Amino acid sequence: MTWLNLHPLTFLVFAPALLGLLLMALPHALGKLARMLGFLGALAIFILSLSWLLGRTPNAGGLILAERASWFTLVGLPVDYALAVDGLNLWLVILTTFLVPLTMLGTWNSLKDRIGTFVAMFLLLETGMLGALVAQDLFVFYLFWEAMLIPMYFMIGVWGGDERRYAANKFFLYTLSGSLLWLVALLYLANKAGGFNPALMAQAASALPFGVQGWLFIAFAVAFAIKVPLFPLHTWLPDAHVQAPTAGSVILAGVLLKLGGYGFIRFAIPMFPQAAMHYAQPIALLSVIAIVYGALVAMVQRDIKKLVAYSSVSHMGFVMLGLASMTVIGTQGAMLQMLNHGISTGALFLLVGMLYDRAHTRMIADFGGVAVKMPIFTAFFLIVTLSSIGLPLTNGFVGEFWILNGTFVSGFGWGRLYACLATSGVLLGAVYMLWMFMRVFWGPENKDEDSGTHHLHTDLNAREIAVMLPLVVLIVWMGVHPKTFIAASEAPVTALLQDIKAPAPRTFVLKPAVHEAPAAHAPEAPAAHEVHR
Amino acid sequence: MSLTPSQWAALLPLLLPALGACLIPLMALDKDQATAKWIRGVMYGTALLAVAASFWYLTDLWKTGAQPSFFQLRMDRLAQFSGIFVVVAAALTILQSWDHFHQEGWVKGETLSLLLFSATGMMLFTASTHFVTLFLGLELFSIPLYALVGTVRARPESAEGGMKYFLTGAVASSCFLMGGVLIYGLSGTLDLSAAAGVLKAQGLALDPLALTGAALLLLGFLFKVSAVPFHQWTPDAYEASPHPIAGFMSVATKGVAFIALLRIFPSSLAPLTAVGAKMQAVVAVLAVATLVLGNLTALVQSNVKRMLAYSSISHAGYLMLGFVAGTPAAHTGVLFYLVIYLAMNMGAFGLLTAFGLVGEKTTFEDLRGLGWKRPAMGFAAAVFMLSLAGIPPMGGFYGKYMIFRELVATGHVGMAVLGVLASLVSAYYYLRFLVALFLQAPSAEAERLASDRPAVHAPLAGATVLVCAAIVLAGGFLQFALVDGFAKRALVEGLGLIR
Repeated sequence: MTWLNLHPLTFLVFAPALLGLLLMALPHALGKLARMLGFLGALAIFILSLSWLLGRTPNAGGLILAERASWFTLVGLPVDYALAVDGLNLWLVILTTFLVPLTMLGTWNSLKDRIGTFVAMFLLLETGMLGALVAQDLFVFYLFWEAMLIPMYFMIGVWGGDERRYAANKFFLYTLSGSLLWLVALLYLANKAGGFNPALMAQAASALPFGVQGWLFIAFAVAFAIKVPLFPLHTWLPDAHVQAPTAGSVILAGVLLKLGGYGFIRFAIPMFPQAAMHYAQPIALLSVIAIVYGALVAMVQRDIKKLVAYSSVSHMGFVMLGLASMTVIGTQGAMLQMLNHGISTGALFLLVGMLYDRAHTRMIADFGGVAVKMPIFTAFFLIVTLSSIGLPLTNGFVGEFWILNGTFVSGFGWGRLYACLATSGVLLGAVYMLWMFMRVFWGPENKDEDSGTHHLHTDLNAREIAVMLPLVVLIVWMGVHPKTFIAASEAPVTALLQDIKAPAPRTFVLKPAVHEAPAAHAPEAPAAHEVHR
Repeated sequence: MSLTPSQWAALLPLLLPALGACLIPLMALDKDQATAKWIRGVMYGTALLAVAASFWYLTDLWKTGAQPSFFQLRMDRLAQFSGIFVVVAAALTILQSWDHFHQEGWVKGETLSLLLFSATGMMLFTASTHFVTLFLGLELFSIPLYALVGTVRARPESAEGGMKYFLTGAVASSCFLMGGVLIYGLSGTLDLSAAAGVLKAQGLALDPLALTGAALLLLGFLFKVSAVPFHQWTPDAYEASPHPIAGFMSVATKGVAFIALLRIFPSSLAPLTAVGAKMQAVVAVLAVATLVLGNLTALVQSNVKRMLAYSSISHAGYLMLGFVAGTPAAHTGVLFYLVIYLAMNMGAFGLLTAFGLVGEKTTFEDLRGLGWKRPAMGFAAAVFMLSLAGIPPMGGFYGKYMIFRELVATGHVGMAVLGVLASLVSAYYYLRFLVALFLQAPSAEAERLASDRPAVHAPLAGATVLVCAAIVLAGGFLQFALVDGFAKRALVEGLGLIR
């Protein structure tokens, strides 16, 4: 157990991939066994992540769990194998480990072919996401960020809809284009800093002329904005979402998009504070456009899944707006909104998947009167819809309220106008979601032989209810008591924003973790101490 | 004349494959070789034994750290690196060709003999700074390759490709020879490092004739690495060749040409800094052209072998970027890149044999759905293609990483941006390979044909593919071990370039 005590994060990150590789080696005939093993493994990872990460007091440097060892030095640049969980990524890590087993359970019978390989890809993807979330060295972050593309590419491309090849290629190349240019910026900065430690890189960046800082920030921001996705870099998203199998859509919306926002708050903003302040206004403008545009486009969609995909563009616009406000409340709102969106949109994609599995269509016009045939399903869909709209007492309300509040008080010239425009996005959200809900669930039952409603014979079964219940509980919990999920990030966010807005000299929120004192801990616990090899 | 042990030590790695090459034709004298499977087995066994002995001997030299020499022939670390590189490529080629030639129904002993002669020439080429041995090596490895391209004489297009390769190659060789002659004429010595010293001492470094000589030498190298505009032969020659031979050409020819270039330009001709700078500028321009043309042309290929040919052209572009950066770290990156490139390209060509694609049936259409039928091969294919595209965590990423990093560090940010954009373009055509393997079902026609044909049986090629995949993955996770233990030592201890 000693190895595990010293390397809890390594275990959390790589255990899914190892399991995935094992499952890949199983023969096709054992697909169902692989699915069961994969689910149990993912569930175990979730339980372990909860027990290891929650209820632990962060150390003086704010780290909950950390590992650090020097990995290699190539071409004169040292790369540290540095992983850490702190207030910024704690809940995103848990969201990831939570959504993976839940999605596997929720899409248990959706796929018929090559189940084992699909589960393996899913687990490899989990490793990629967790690795990117906990990486504290930009090279390691880059590795996970890129490696994540591979399993997602296959998930869309092999198990997707009719246009899957186009969507998978577009997803892969679009994301790659951003990250390759970002790599050049990364190399440029690493060259100045003598390594990939974010703190040293931030220090090196602050010594560069402002123009160069601006270009570097743009390279970082574009890579992350493609992932978010921020208007006008969002065009890959509707294709990928619609073509991906349900599980792929859930994870794409639930976690992958979050990594873009997380990249801003973890790296782009703290490393280039001046440039971030300088470009906050254009980013806020694009976010507002994303909010309104995404909502307007969602309104005219005929395909429920596509509607949810465009609603993602709109919701992630809120996240970016909160980050761009450069206020504590706005940024905290963005942190919460990322979790909200993961839960609500994940739930929406799961529900749409359940509907599709029964009716084999997702066209709004094919439905009508579903409430009569599937009352339990309708109840869940309604709750999730309301959460997505941002009804008070559901999670969506708190995040959007804080973001709008933060934007209103942000102090940049057009902040109040942006807040007003973004508020119209909330209204439009209610319009497209409720209108869709009305057409699908209410009204007279669609008796047409070819209609979707006609093919609905069974309501949700126990497994599907078991999947939806925790999501609904979270929706309410996050709406009533968001502090549970947002308390951890308060200290780091406040420190970061103070640091950015303070007049020189900067103190660098990103401290090299090497010098930090370990927290008090019981020796046998998987503790928050640095590992030196 | 009796040789000292040290001189023998320098010669043996070359003599062993040459000996094998001489023995094999004696066995091929049997007229019934097409039927006598055991004779074929003995021939292939001999060839494998020859390269294995050479490999064993070279790794032994590497371990002891000895750097013996035989007059102008220096079996130093760099030559040992190159020797190991060549014999590994040759061994993979021999194993793959057993399966491939049986699939084609064309098993001849001379193929192996030519291959071994070529390998000998390659080792000679990278072990010398003396112009005569250099040229000897160049011709010794090139001429057998011209014949190997056209080796399946039953196919007319094979002969066409071989002829085209021969004619263009002969022109390049004569240019190379002319370059050496000019430098010899000015300096009065055939040893290139001595010649550089003489030219510098006499103030002839920027003499037009010396510049022309250096440029012609460079042209010879660039032809062998198939850099634009000397790349025209590549797709035709690869398409005409048997798959394993195409793999061998793409890897070994390019590899030794880059290693020899490393020995001659940054090292031997180092005193002529002005010439070096001019040549670097030429390489920079051609690298850009190679990257752009190679990648864009690869996009529109429907034949996998032609795609891989243009891909190999574009990889020459990345490797040339290493010379544009020109730092020792960049040169280390070039050597590391070559190791990974060996594995991923031999693996990619090996896949064609492992999938049993023969003759002209090597289009993307022919690959459809095969990844699911042969999962292990499919997995390896994904490793090779993602590595060729430079996606982490595969080894190919680190090769590009090292070269791009040095480009940025030496102020060539624009070149680095161009390089990553070229990578982006390349990702598309490498994905096409995977799209065909995994994302497309086989056409009904192909299914019908497949049910008529016997199942593909290519255990040796399959094994080489798995070995190559393991090397590529090792390059992704143990990259520092390969770089520090292998590539860097070849440069530092072989050429005396200090990091």
